[in-house]
Amino acid sequence: MNEPITNLWSVPLLVMIPILTAIVVNLLYNKARAIRVISIGAAIAVLAISVVSPYGFHWFAGHPAVNADGTYTFTASVFSWKLSLEYYYGPLQQILIAVTSLLLLFVVVIATKSLSKNYGPYVAIVFLTYVSAAAVIMTNDFYNLWIAVELGSLLVAGLVASSGTGYAQKAALKYTFFSALAGSGLAISLGLILGITGYANITDAIHFLMTNDLGGMHAVLYVAFAFLALAWVYAGGLIPVHPLKSDVYRSAFPHATVLLQAQSKLMLVAIGIVLLRMFGALPFAREVMLSISVLTMIIGIVMALIQTDFRWTLAYIIVSHSGLVTVGLSLGTYKGIVGGLFQAVNDIIYMSILLLCCEMLLYFGKGTSIKFNGGIAKKSPWLAAFVILGTFAASGIPPFNGFQSELIIIQAALEQSLPEVAAVVLMVSISTFIALFRAVYSIFLKPGEDHPVRQSEAKRFEIPTTVFVFLSVLLAISFVLGVYPQLALGFLTESALKVVFVPWVP
Amino acid sequence: MGSIDSLYDRVKRYLTSFFAGEGSTDAITGYSSGELQMTVFFMVLAAMFRVFMIPLGIVLLLVATILIAYFAPIIRTVDRENSSDLNRVLFWVIIYFSIILAVTLWGR
Amino acid sequence: MIEVSLQLLGFIAATILVVVGIAGMLFLDNLIKKLIAFTLLSDGVNLALVSLGYVQGGIVPILEPGASISEFPNSAALIFGPGIVLTNIVIGVSTTAILAALIVALYKRCGSLKASKVLKGERE
Repeated sequence: MNEPITNLWSVPLLVMIPILTAIVVNLLYNKARAIRVISIGAAIAVLAISVVSPYGFHWFAGHPAVNADGTYTFTASVFSWKLSLEYYYGPLQQILIAVTSLLLLFVVVIATKSLSKNYGPYVAIVFLTYVSAAAVIMTNDFYNLWIAVELGSLLVAGLVASSGTGYAQKAALKYTFFSALAGSGLAISLGLILGITGYANITDAIHFLMTNDLGGMHAVLYVAFAFLALAWVYAGGLIPVHPLKSDVYRSAFPHATVLLQAQSKLMLVAIGIVLLRMFGALPFAREVMLSISVLTMIIGIVMALIQTDFRWTLAYIIVSHSGLVTVGLSLGTYKGIVGGLFQAVNDIIYMSILLLCCEMLLYFGKGTSIKFNGGIAKKSPWLAAFVILGTFAASGIPPFNGFQSELIIIQAALEQSLPEVAAVVLMVSISTFIALFRAVYSIFLKPGEDHPVRQSEAKRFEIPTTVFVFLSVLLAISFVLGVYPQLALGFLTESALKVVFVPWVP
Repeated sequence: MGSIDSLYDRVKRYLTSFFAGEGSTDAITGYSSGELQMTVFFMVLAAMFRVFMIPLGIVLLLVATILIAYFAPIIRTVDRENSSDLNRVLFWVIIYFSIILAVTLWGR
Repeated sequence: MIEVSLQLLGFIAATILVVVGIAGMLFLDNLIKKLIAFTLLSDGVNLALVSLGYVQGGIVPILEPGASISEFPNSAALIFGPGIVLTNIVIGVSTTAILAALIVALYKRCGSLKASKVLKGERE
């Protein structure tokens, strides 16, 4: 493979602009207007960069050997690659980062509007969370992967704790304690892989495994897999960690949860692809991943069914749908991986619709419990319409986007002759509808407890224009992707092919 | 009404008997559908062992049915085990990690 | 008698530290003790990573003027492990800081340092 050697200008900007913004807004104490202008400008800038940027590499340390004609050699047999910490910006990275940047813009606008004073540090944490998500999906080396996961988890704790309530602080503390464990595991995994292969770059390490006989060192590779899988489970909130992760989702502000769930989906995709490329050929590796995913889906959705608060329901549904993403990935076939990646994109979008609706409920001051609510549809018909359409998208009802990706995952499971997995995916999508619609009915559609005469006189809840625009944009994307899935699928095929066609056999 | 103890009466009594403590109708729908969901999931899981041996799948399916009927309501156990108590989560994580390690090393 | 290398000793010490750290995080109930257990765990990981780069009779991985280039790759210690350790120390410090801050905040709120009291599940 010979490509012109370019160090892309855009990749460092995607990381540096948010970091610089975070530093600047942190310094602007008590200057609310300046913080607002700078942060919104930076969010627009990263969105624009992620859309217009060309595809390619950026090397931080070490370069591939450069040929005389300006191309570089990329062969497995000749160790022409040096120690190279690299970022890769490809179609998958583009679509995921563009969607996350769009959400970052929404989150920043809402955060700077809804929080009353001194939100500089909060906005800084929001930007840094975005950086960890963008870095983890772009990186192609274990070193940056580890740093992004570690920093990401600390930032999640910061974002949650800054909502200020007691249970948010408890959730943050639990999550950080666990981050200590999982981060150490990831460092050990990195050390083991480095010890076996001598490369921090993931592509180099895979090529080393392809071309060299490991002999008696295989057991070390399994231990590395186990530790990396632990970090995967932790960063994405899969099954044994899901109580902590759902605590995190529900105790942050809903607009912060929009970014948190996008970050954890990106982590799931990034680490999941690394696991598949690196260890997919090991016996039982994919089975372990698949069983974790199936258990996550089912436990998540069952826990979502028994909640009596809209925020809790949403938190557990996010956990459950993380399992849906990883089921696709861990099937390991081309179709499965495409389905999983597409599900990640769709999931980020429709969950954001529901979370923004949840934010509006809190904004109206009625709370989110399904026991003491009702009649919101009469006061705010637009919000009811948005939340119902979001429910349709989340439960995989056509013509919305959730349907397309779940269909691909079900087809992939059937092609692998695993109809049980397909059945579980169907169960999850139906139960999502039950769990969400139970909450939606109780909060929005059920007649309210106000007196009928006074209810007609009661003032209507108006959604702020910005949120209305955001919800419309997200719903439009959801609809367009549901009708023309090819628009997104074109971005995902390259990465899926890379995973499937660069295997190595131990 | 009381004299006829039909299957419906028994099922209804069985379902409502789980939720005496909370007494909220909002919760009951969720708990009942969650219970059914778990039941079906365990059956699907048992049936999945057909990939190794079809008779094994059938036997496990029967065993799962009997165990579920005996130990119901499972949803209470699921709810309890999914508590976000830090020590409990750490315990589950260590168990999980050992299983992953054992399975992959055994698969070698 | 088995020849015990410095590297093996390093790995054994690292394993002990990691096991003690994990056991402490699991079984100790006091949040501060849990925090201390985490630092032990982190140190164990650092020691393992440093031991990874050990080369018997190795030299510092800096190419001095006049040194033989052909011998350098064989005798120099691996540089990447210690490089990671530097980062891990920084991350460990920031994690400890965040944990300590949250523990102080929760102590002010709950008046207790017992994990079983402060961090019990919300639905119990």
